[in-house]
Formats: sequence, structure tokens, C-alpha cells
Amino acid sequence: MTAEIRGRRQWPLPKQADPAAPLLRVNNLQTHFQLGRGWVKAVDGVSFGLDDGEALGLVGESGCGKTTTALSLVRLLPSNGRIRGGSVELFGIDLVPKTDRQLDRYRWREISIVFQGAMNALNPVVQVRRQIAEPVQYRLNQSESASLKRADELLDMVGIPSRRLGAYPHELSGGMRQRAMIAMALACDPAIVIGDEPTTALDAMVQAQILVLLEQLRRDLGLSLILITHDLSVVAETCDRVLVMYAGRVAEEGPVSRVFTEPRHPYTRKLLGAFPNIRSDRRTLETIPGEPPDLVNPPAGCRFAPRCAQAMPVCAGTLPPEVSFDDGVRVACHLFGTTA
Amino acid sequence: MSARYLGQRLLQAIVTIAAIVLLNFLLFRLMPGSPERILLRNPNLSQQVVEATRARWGLDKPLIPDQLVSYIGSTLEGDLGYSFKFRGQPVTSVIADRVGPTLLLVGLGELISVFVGIAIGAYAGWRRGGVVDRVGSGVSLVLYSMPYFVIGMPLIVIFAAGLGWFPTSGMTSVGGGDRPFPDNIIDLARHLALPLATVSLGLIGQYSILMRSAIIETRSEDYITTARAKGLRDGRVLRAHAFPNAMLPMVTLIAINLGYVIGGAITAEIVFSWPGLGTLTVTALQSRDYPVLQGIFLLVAVSVVLANLAADIIYGLLDPRVRR
Amino acid sequence: MSAARASGAPVSGAPVSGAGKAGRWRLRAAQLRAFAARYAGRADGMLGLVVLVFFGILALAPELFVGPLETATRASAHAFDAPSAQHLLGADDLGRDILNRTVHGARISMTIGLMATVITLVFGVVLGLVAGYSGGLVDNLLMRIADFFLVLPTFVLALILAPVLIEVVGADAEVMGIRATLLVIIVVIGITSWAATARIIRSQTLSLKERMFVDRARVVGVGPGRIILRHILPNVMNLIVANAVLTFASAVLTETTLSFIGLGDPFQPSWGQILNGAQDSGAAGLGAWWVIAPPAVSVVLVILAFTLMGNALDDLLNPKSRVRR
Ligand SMILES: Nc1ncnc2c1ncn2[C@@H]1O[C@H](COP(=O)(O)OP(=O)(O)OP(=O)(O)O)[C@@H](O)[C@H]1O
Ligand code: SF4
Ligand SMILES: [Mg+2]
Repeated sequence: MTAEIRGRRQWPLPKQADPAAPLLRVNNLQTHFQLGRGWVKAVDGVSFGLDDGEALGLVGESGCGKTTTALSLVRLLPSNGRIRGGSVELFGIDLVPKTDRQLDRYRWREISIVFQGAMNALNPVVQVRRQIAEPVQYRLNQSESASLKRADELLDMVGIPSRRLGAYPHELSGGMRQRAMIAMALACDPAIVIGDEPTTALDAMVQAQILVLLEQLRRDLGLSLILITHDLSVVAETCDRVLVMYAGRVAEEGPVSRVFTEPRHPYTRKLLGAFPNIRSDRRTLETIPGEPPDLVNPPAGCRFAPRCAQAMPVCAGTLPPEVSFDDGVRVACHLFGTTA
Repeated sequence: MSARYLGQRLLQAIVTIAAIVLLNFLLFRLMPGSPERILLRNPNLSQQVVEATRARWGLDKPLIPDQLVSYIGSTLEGDLGYSFKFRGQPVTSVIADRVGPTLLLVGLGELISVFVGIAIGAYAGWRRGGVVDRVGSGVSLVLYSMPYFVIGMPLIVIFAAGLGWFPTSGMTSVGGGDRPFPDNIIDLARHLALPLATVSLGLIGQYSILMRSAIIETRSEDYITTARAKGLRDGRVLRAHAFPNAMLPMVTLIAINLGYVIGGAITAEIVFSWPGLGTLTVTALQSRDYPVLQGIFLLVAVSVVLANLAADIIYGLLDPRVRR
Repeated sequence: MSAARASGAPVSGAPVSGAGKAGRWRLRAAQLRAFAARYAGRADGMLGLVVLVFFGILALAPELFVGPLETATRASAHAFDAPSAQHLLGADDLGRDILNRTVHGARISMTIGLMATVITLVFGVVLGLVAGYSGGLVDNLLMRIADFFLVLPTFVLALILAPVLIEVVGADAEVMGIRATLLVIIVVIGITSWAATARIIRSQTLSLKERMFVDRARVVGVGPGRIILRHILPNVMNLIVANAVLTFASAVLTETTLSFIGLGDPFQPSWGQILNGAQDSGAAGLGAWWVIAPPAVSVVLVILAFTLMGNALDDLLNPKSRVRR
């Protein structure tokens, strides 16, 4: 197959790539963790797609499997984690059956990650610029000096003053570290950048700066972005589409403009209700009563059923099918099972 | 590393050494009977030495401050008194004679085991549950449970008494050291082989166990996930990210063990009659040669404190977080 | 992505709360059962336990296997007789039966190890609790002293202390039926190894105290002694147990080494003592492996067993478990 240049991409696609295929297509992904008492079904049948230049927001309660979904894309799971089903197709190439050695070619060059808490995600005993230069040197096979030069350019691009070039992670402020992480994620000019709560633990001012930076870089570089966050207003501002997860499954997915203005899934409605800034007409915050289910033995039917105010008899026993609407929204709920 | 950090560590070391000197002084004074009685009971000493010693200690004067002050003074001058056992030789020269062999044996042993132990431990921890881990960790744990003499005696039974490949004891054959080069070196090496193996095996267990657990601990750090996310080769993740961090606790252990190099691997030396500080310690112990024992204690304690200081400094150099 | 996430709630989770005496005991019993189940799942810990039980039986009732102690200290064969039907493990330089001596050695070695562990723990736990609870100057002072003992080459110190103490009490004195030489070894091990225990207990006490005083209701009007005994001690018990097992291993090691060097009691054969005899008679050089192997293997097995058990317990009980040393 001929190597093609696509979008704003600077170098050819991988050899096996299908130029007609979407950028990323995740089908029925199942990622489980092995525990003594069984498998934790952290991600259990998740599907979604991502187009060139698109920004997808990934939201949901803590523990619903956002990080696990993201890490499954390039299989960076903890040692007790397995992808037990589904596919992750990048340019039409399924990454799931690949060996670790083969996957290394896609990691960072195609999909890079800005981790939460850069303090721990950066190696404490290596200079930040060397950590940024590392993927350039070892993945793009540049000389050490060229890699360092590129690292310095990247640091400049994310707004780290040049006098901080020799800094170690602990010598930078939280915001600077996060900027450095972003610079590192951009080092190989990847197709997709995943941001896993890139601004948590930063103060509001710095959060805003980082988000503006990400947004600007995304537009300038034509990146595709998967943004994991608890902050729905961030999703509203920066993302094109949003994926709402609940207990390892997709609750609702669609264009941000549609989902946030007309949430269909009871969980999405609760989630938006629990968040003050989206629906400004609300005075009192709603909380969602109850707790997410145990993921080792999740409910047989809809996983939200135990907490859902609209639950019907069918909900407890039957898994709700995903139903697509004309406006591009997809919902997994029995309320819509028959009407769509 | 800031001057403040360095200053703090230095001060700590000095205080510790002062405390050790004080402890040494008190131990000697509080021992059964006064030093004087020990002196008088010891038949090996000439009258001249007894008098010289008495004058030096100022035994008629009060314990503190006079005796303490003169003790500290003479200690600083390197005068540690006279050996009971070795016919009134100065303690310093008795000890000095034994330092070389010990440094040779334990220093080499450290060197070998640091490299081998760290390599085994790092690999075992990185590939946890693999073949190297199962075999290596099992062997390391067994070695770690073996005191030197339990390692050394079987080596003698097999390789010296049984196979006859190596001599059973000593550092040279009779006249072996006077033979022309390279025969003298070969003779030394043949004598060194088994004690060196003993010391190395004993230390390898310790190093590989600690290195393994240090690597396992770093392996679950977020920056290792970052490194893996970068698509770096496994070996590079280990070398460039896990290893430097895992080495931090190792540096302390190695430096502290280096402090004990001076003390020697006492029982290893005994098993092979290696003429180092270890055998000297036991000889002094058997003849209740307290001045020599105390000299050895002082030497070992000070070198351990200095090694700790070195560990802190090296740690400060390796870990940027403590530099300020 | 830590392992902690994967493990069940540790036994040491929240401070044991006082919900009536009976309730508390029922809670403890349940915790103990749950813990026993988790321990049983650790192959290494169980292996250690089996070895330990074996040597424990030897130590408790050596007469079940061989003759009384006198037969172990008297010659019954020729010098360096090789293993035979009569003397399964041969004889030493004085014609004494090695099997006999090794079995009796179990009692001496294990008793000394046990008593030294008790002394170490008493010192370490008391000082650790006091330092952690009182804080301030006392804490500072005690921990400086502990630090000093931690850098001190304790083994060399033990070598100096042992003969000094023996001279003080006299080699033939007996305390509670234990001969002075052995007693001295016990005390020396205790003096030189309490510091590590004290440090561990102190840091746990500190964090318990924090939590305790957050929950003020529990401590108003209660004296410090009672708080330590009723609220803190039960919650550091886990640590003490894990630490005791590891301390025992190093106590047996130290005893063996001190005896090997010749500080043991010739009339009471410990494993170190037997090896000391082997060394003095040049058994290794003569190829008399049967004098060396039985005590050596015993020592290694016991230390290994305790290390395995200690590591297993430490993993299960110690919240901030780290491999030490
Ligand atoms: N190594 C592991 N072993 C067992 N269970 C795990 C492991 N890692 C994660 N889990 C479980 O998998 C589920 C999903 O975790 P994940 O980290 O993906 O959630 P998340 O949506 O990213 O949460 P947060 O918003 O808190 O980051 C959680 O219930 C978590 O407890
Ligand atoms: S499927 Fe039933 S329980 Fe689940 S969200 Fe819809 S209505 Fe609620
Ligand atoms: Mg997460």
C-alpha cells in the first residue's frame, strides 16, 4: 500500500494504514483488571470514533473507566490489566493484537498522552528538556543535539522561559510542569494527543492558561484531542464531541452542542444537573444519590438502574442497546429503545 | 547541593564521631576494674610501658575532665595506647599491619558484588516472575540467610579439601610472597580465590534483594508509564528511567557497606585465616586485648560515619531534589 | 495503578474503635481469621511456617529425637567418625554425636533468638511509643540516640561489650537457669538492635496520634498512659508482629556469629558453638563435611524461614511496607 500524507501530517502514514479509514475507531472495547475476587470490568463494551482535527471530551464520575479507556488505546495498562475484547483501529490498523514491540511504533509518534499530575509523570532525576528530547532522539532517530534543540523550541512554544531550560521537574511550578508535559506530548508531532485531566490540581488561573494553550496548539498543529476531565465547562468550550461514560460503558455520545443542550440519558441529565455552569437556569445543585456499582459483579441490565429515577422493569434485566439519533447523538437507555 | 545541606551533614558526622569517641572512652573506663588494674594484671607489659601508659592517662587525676581531655588529645594525635597481646606495640601499628589484606579482600568483594548483585537484582525486578527472578531471588534469599562462615566452610570442604584446587587458609604459601613475579601474584590469587568468593556471594544476596525491590518500587511510578508511553525500548526505559531512581537507595547501602570494608568480613577472615582486621579482632578478643579492640571499634565506627557522609553527598549529587 | 488498590482492606485499616469490650473482641477475632486466610494464601509465608514448626518441635523436645543434653556433650564415638548407622551424622573432633548436638542446638539457638527478640522489642516498642507520643524534646533526644545506634557498627560493639559484661557478671553466674555467657549474648543483641524497631514504631505512633487527636472525643480526660495502652498499642501490634519475626532472624544470625567467634557457652551447644568447634578443629580442611553441614543447614533454614515469614507478614500487615535493610 502506498504511503500517503494526510491532513496536516508531516510524514507518511504507517505502511498498513488504510487511507480511507477514519483516524481512530474503537469498537466494543473491553478492558478488565484481574483481582483475587474476579475481573474488574473497568471498560466493558465501549465504542467511539475520532476524526482528524476533532476534540472529544471524555466525562463521567470518578472510577467510570475514562483513564482505562484512554490507556487501552496504546495499551499502557497496569500489569493486572488485559484488553479482553474489541478493537482499536488507528488508520484502520487494529492495535489490539499487536505485540508490545510493534505497539512501540505507534506510541507517542501517533498517540501521545499528557498525564495528570506532571510531578509524578516526569522523571525526578532527569532534566525536563532531556525528557522532552528523549522521544525525538530515540523515536525519530535525531542526533542528541538536534533533539535538545527541538526540545528547547517546544519549551519556547509552550511558554517556558529559556532560562528555565536546565530545570529539573521539582524546580518548576505546577503550571510549568504541565506545560512541559504538553511540550513533551508534542515532541513527535503525533496525530492524537490524549489529555488525562491535564489541569487537575492546578489553580483556576493556571488551569485556564493551560487550556487556552492546548486549544491554540490543537488549532495550529491540527491535532486531534481526547480530553478527559471532570469539568464540563471545559468540554463545552474546547470539545466538538463528548462521550459520557458510566461504570465502564457509554451512556451517551454526540456533538457537545446537542448533548449539553438536550441531554437524553438520565445519567447525563443528572451529571449536567450536578454541574452549576452549564445550565445557568438552575439554582440548586442536584446530587446523584447512591454509588456506582461494583465493577466485578455489575448489574445484569443497565448499570445505572439502581440509581436511576426513571428505571423500568426491563432496565434491571436487559442491557440497554445503543440507539443513534439523527442529530448524531448515541444513547444507551431503554427509554429510547423503542422510540428511535 | 547547597552549602547548607553539606554543612548539616558535616556537622552531623562530627557530632556522631565525637559521641563515638566519648563512648569509647567510657567503655574503657567502665570496664571491669580500672584501666590501671587491667594494666597491672597484664603480664605481657613491661614496667616501662605501664608507667608510660599511666602517665599518659593521668590515672591519678579525675575522670572528667582531665582524663577525658588527655584521652581526646592523644586520640587526635593517633595515639590509641599499647596492645596487651602484642608485647606493648602501639595499637596503631598493630592495626595498620592488618588494613592492607582486609582492604584487598573486602574491597574486591564489594566491587564484584556491587556489579553482579545490582545486575541480577535489576533484571529480576524488571522481569518480575521471570526465570531470572525466580532463580535469582531464591538464590539471593538463601545467600542472604547465610553468614560468611556458613558460605566459606563448605567452599573449603569442596574446593580445598575435596578437589584440592585452592589452599585452605592464609594469604601466601610459606615463602610464596618472596617468589619472583608473577609467581607471587599467582600464589596470592590462589589464596584469595575462596575468601573472595565467600565475601562476594554473601554481599551479592544483599545487593540483589535490595535492588530488586527498589526496581519493583520504581516500576510502578508514573514516570515509568510515561517512558513506556513514549514507545521507548524496554531496555531504555529500564536504563534511563527505572535504574537511576532505583539506584538512590542502593547508593546509601553501598556507601555504608564500604564503611564496613575496614571492619572486614570478620567471620570470612577467620574461616580462611586471612591476616586482616577480622582475625585481629578475634585474636584481640580471645586475649582480652582491649586497647586493640577499642582501636578497631574506633576505626570502624569512624569509617562508617564517613561512609554515611559520603552516601549523603553522593545522594545529593544524584538526586536533584536534595540539591537546594 | 498501585498494588494497594488491588488488595483488600488491610487489617490495620482504621484504628480499632471501642464499641464495647465484647464487640471489640469479636471484631478482633474476625480480623484475625481474615488475616489467617490471607496469610495462608502466601506460599512463601507458609513454607517458612512449616520449617519453623519443625525446628520449634526440635527445640521444645529434643529428647523425643535424641538422648538428653548430657549425651550431646559427651563423647560416644571416635574423633571425626564419618556418618554411620550408629551415628547418622557422624562425630566431631571429640567424638561427640553431631545429630545429637544439632538437635540440642536448636533449643539453645532458638531460645537465645527468642529472648533477644523480646528484649529488642521491649526496648524498641517502649522507646518508640514514648518518642512518638510525647514528641518534642524527648522525641528528638530518643531519635538522635537511635540514629547513633543505627550508624554504630553494632557487631563490633557487641564484640567489645560481650567480654566486658561477662567479666562483670562472672562466667559461671546463672540467672533464671540461663548461664551468664548466654545471657550476655542476649543482652548485647538487645542493646545493639532496638533502634530500628523504635524508629518504625515511632513513625506509626506519630500518625496514629494525629488521627486520634483529630477524633478528640476519644481522648478527652484520658491519661497518656491509657491512651498509649488502649488506643495506640493495639494499633501498632501489626507492625510489632511483622518486626518481631524479622528481628528474630537477625538475632539468631547474631547469636550464631558471636558463638562462632568463640563468645558462646561451650557447655551448651548452639549451632554457632558447633561450628566454632568445627572451625577450631579444622574440620573443613579435613573434609569432615558432616560436622559442618547439619548446624549450617539448620541455621540457614531457620533464618530463611523467618525471613520468608517476616516478608509475608510485612506485606500483609505493614501499611507502608518497604523491604528493609
Ligand atoms: N490496576 C487496577 N486493578 C484493579 N482495578 C483497577 C485498576 N486500575 C483501575 N481499576 C478500577 O477500574 C475502574 C476504572 O478506573 P479509571 O482509573 O479508568 O477511572 P477514571 O474514570 O479515570 O477515574 P478518575 O476520574 O478518578 O480518574 C475503577 O473502578 C478502578 O477502581
Ligand atoms: S436504561 Fe433504564 S435504568 Fe438505565 S438509564 Fe435508562 S431508564 Fe435508567
Ligand atoms: Mg482517571
